[in-house]
Amino acid sequence: MDPIKAQVVVIGGGPGGYAAAFYAADQGKQVILIEKDEKLGGVCLNRGCIPSKALLHASKMIHEARESAHRGITFGEPTIDLEKLRNWKNSILNKLSSGIVGLAKSRNVEVMHGRGHFEDSHTLRVESSEGQKYISFEHAIIATGSRAALPRVFDLGNPRIMTSRAALEVEEVPEELLVIGGGYIGMELGSVYSILGSKVTLVEALPALIAAADPDLVRPVAKFAEENFKEVRLNTKITSMSTKGAKIKVGVEFPDGEKRDELYDRVLVSVGRVPANGELGLENTRVELDEKGFIKVNERQQTRDSNIYAIGDCVGGLMLAHKASKEARIAVEVITGQDSLWDNFMVPAVVFTDPEIAWVGITEQEARKEGKKVKVAKFPWSASGRALTYDRTDGLTKIIVEEESERILGIGIVGHGAGELIGEATLAVEMGATVRDVAETIHAHPTLSETIMESAEAFFGHATHLAGKKH
Amino acid sequence: MQVKLPNLGEGAGSSPVASVLVSVGDTVEKDQTILELEMEKSVVPVPSSAGGKVTKVYVSVGDKIGVGDPILDLEGAGDAGDSGEASGGGDSEPAPKAKPAAAPAPARSSRAGRESVSFDDYFDFEEEIDPNAPMPPASPSVRRTAREIGVDLRRIHGTGGGGRVIMSDLRAFVRWCQMTAFRQAGEAAREGVFQPRSKPSIDFSQFGEISKKPMSSLRKVIAERMVENKNTLPHVTQFDSVDITDLNALRKKLAPAYKEKGSNLTMTVITLMAVVRALKKHPIFNASLDEVTEEIILKEYYHIGMAVDSDAGLMVPVIRNADRKSPLELATDLKTLAAKVRDRQISGDEMKGGSFTISNQGAIGGGHFTPIINKPETAIMGVGQSSLQPAVVDGQIVPRLLMPITISYDHRLIDGGTAARFTVDLKNAFTEITEADLAL
Repeated sequence: MDPIKAQVVVIGGGPGGYAAAFYAADQGKQVILIEKDEKLGGVCLNRGCIPSKALLHASKMIHEARESAHRGITFGEPTIDLEKLRNWKNSILNKLSSGIVGLAKSRNVEVMHGRGHFEDSHTLRVESSEGQKYISFEHAIIATGSRAALPRVFDLGNPRIMTSRAALEVEEVPEELLVIGGGYIGMELGSVYSILGSKVTLVEALPALIAAADPDLVRPVAKFAEENFKEVRLNTKITSMSTKGAKIKVGVEFPDGEKRDELYDRVLVSVGRVPANGELGLENTRVELDEKGFIKVNERQQTRDSNIYAIGDCVGGLMLAHKASKEARIAVEVITGQDSLWDNFMVPAVVFTDPEIAWVGITEQEARKEGKKVKVAKFPWSASGRALTYDRTDGLTKIIVEEESERILGIGIVGHGAGELIGEATLAVEMGATVRDVAETIHAHPTLSETIMESAEAFFGHATHLAGKKH
Repeated sequence: MQVKLPNLGEGAGSSPVASVLVSVGDTVEKDQTILELEMEKSVVPVPSSAGGKVTKVYVSVGDKIGVGDPILDLEGAGDAGDSGEASGGGDSEPAPKAKPAAAPAPARSSRAGRESVSFDDYFDFEEEIDPNAPMPPASPSVRRTAREIGVDLRRIHGTGGGGRVIMSDLRAFVRWCQMTAFRQAGEAAREGVFQPRSKPSIDFSQFGEISKKPMSSLRKVIAERMVENKNTLPHVTQFDSVDITDLNALRKKLAPAYKEKGSNLTMTVITLMAVVRALKKHPIFNASLDEVTEEIILKEYYHIGMAVDSDAGLMVPVIRNADRKSPLELATDLKTLAAKVRDRQISGDEMKGGSFTISNQGAIGGGHFTPIINKPETAIMGVGQSSLQPAVVDGQIVPRLLMPITISYDHRLIDGGTAARFTVDLKNAFTEITEADLAL
């Protein structure tokens, strides 16, 4: 059988892969997109960003209903129909996924379902339900993503020990849930389950939750966890796990060295993500991996095999969909002969807890660690009229400014809708704006976006809604 | 008080400083020439608007300055308060050409006096850029453009807030690079004429006593122009002599009347009149070639350049509309312009726009010579010293006063026959000048 010819073959149909396939097609290339699952969209759409946000939204409704009593509005206890909730969530995923199929069709991108396997540097074998197919490609873009890590000590084959993938299915609301890992996934899903009714115990080996974010931004989220979780344990390790009847027996080691066995109905393991590069046949190419298994690429997304590119989670770095989509553009531009590269672009990070945490550029703790001469200006949301009307004054906006040039190096926000606010912040940092640029930009009133302007004004000591003191 | 660059005509734009003739501590008189600007291939002296002691000099050779830019601070002139402030402190230090990260502030503040500072304040030309040095802030579109055209943004001191490089900075940088490249090529060519880089300088002292002096900026400009004009135009020079015996007698007769008016009726004045008459008959001698559009431009005006000898070197002030001026007006113009040249008060505008040039060496001596055409004109007249020569008049050899004249012309536009006819008509123009033409 003659191989199918492709100018560009993309392996993986997530937000990196489909963005690459579409852009390459838009640039006039003939493209085949390989997806091992039935549905396009990858982890982000099917088992990550989107379903978790749907569940977070639903659980937030419950939380807000409970919190509205002091505003004079009292609801009864909610009844939760898990199946309906799941169906609603899944309907979103289906809508988005079929949308991607339509977009692929409109661009004449051929979507092939099956597992891709490199035979050599120019040939990909696809194991599909219709049998084997061979693709002879000019350029390949690997976008196979990542999956939740499940350390061997936790991997008992017990479905009640879940990663985010299973947790998002919400098969049940367990009575006692142990969340291992206080990163953004553990915090997001821990919040969902706690509001749905689980008693959540969260264990984090490090001394802080969401350690990548500045502590002052994490504080309101930690407060939420303290109020809504059964317990938050820092500096704590899980040393063993075993099945005990319908429960999971867990060995806990506390910071003071005390060891204790505890029983949980379910366990969510959210201790990071590992690349999904296995079984790709990379050994038949010149593609190299780093010690953690991520594909090594240069700043033009090229692997060591010059016509094979890799983007997104499988190359490591920040494992975020929008970073993968940007890398997709770079890879395609390099393939089409443009002088494109990863030009130190700003990648915003958002944690969809309640309240949300979002930041872009350098964080204050990074700046201090690197010894950069920076000034930090802050605006607490207790001074924001809009925050008061939302009844959410537990926010903070801060700007990290390079002292000499007054250039904004980073912006961090915690608060209601921080994920939406970070857009402006990202533009400012990406454009090399100075703190004065932002201070002198008019922001609509009354909005939370004013907190960005006011924190910039606070840098100069004249934020309208802060007491007049120099920073 | 502060001396600023006055409007030297031509108004807009800025010109490089060719030389600075004063330094801190000097005392200058009002109208004394304090610096020279390179304008349109000529060097224009700039007079001081006041007198006093120089406390600060804002410009140096090579800076581009425009109208209104500060040149000097003077003490003991006009208002002294101003000068005291301006001369205080060490802010006269030139902006350091330091690393871009360290320099944004001076680059930004110097922006106020647009183009009054050297480009070096904006751009970093240290050959090596530290690969670990941080990139200046710039938007993604600027970064992409810079990458595509191969510009390292670290060479640019951005004019945006915080040293941010904006698209106009990038454009200015590219323009600067191009300008510098061409200027250096020009300088290399110029040096090549006088001092070929490939050959070492000759040590003339091995042959005897010597002394050295630097080439003035005016001399460099003259040299450059002469090489260009001589090398790019196919010159042919026509020789002849004009019998001015009777004309000279007439001139002597009328001279006292001119003297009374404070003027001199010189043979140059008469030559001007004759030339204008001949030019009117032969427009191609009052023309230019536009080498770009390949068009011949015939001029309806008669602006005659007069080569004037000065201590500093050759200058060519222009007598405007010579065809519309009386002999007395021509004589007055000539006297005024010559004085301005001698005092280095001549402006750039007064040396522009000539349509034909006369180089008269009659007052000094010598016979025929082959002048170099003053591009973009098409011809030039050379006048030697008149002398009594044996001439044949009515079959008799008699002494006559003969004035040697030559016409160098651009053979691209003017054929030999045309030139001969012009010369004949020019000679006739002299003889046709009557007492009525010259009388006051």
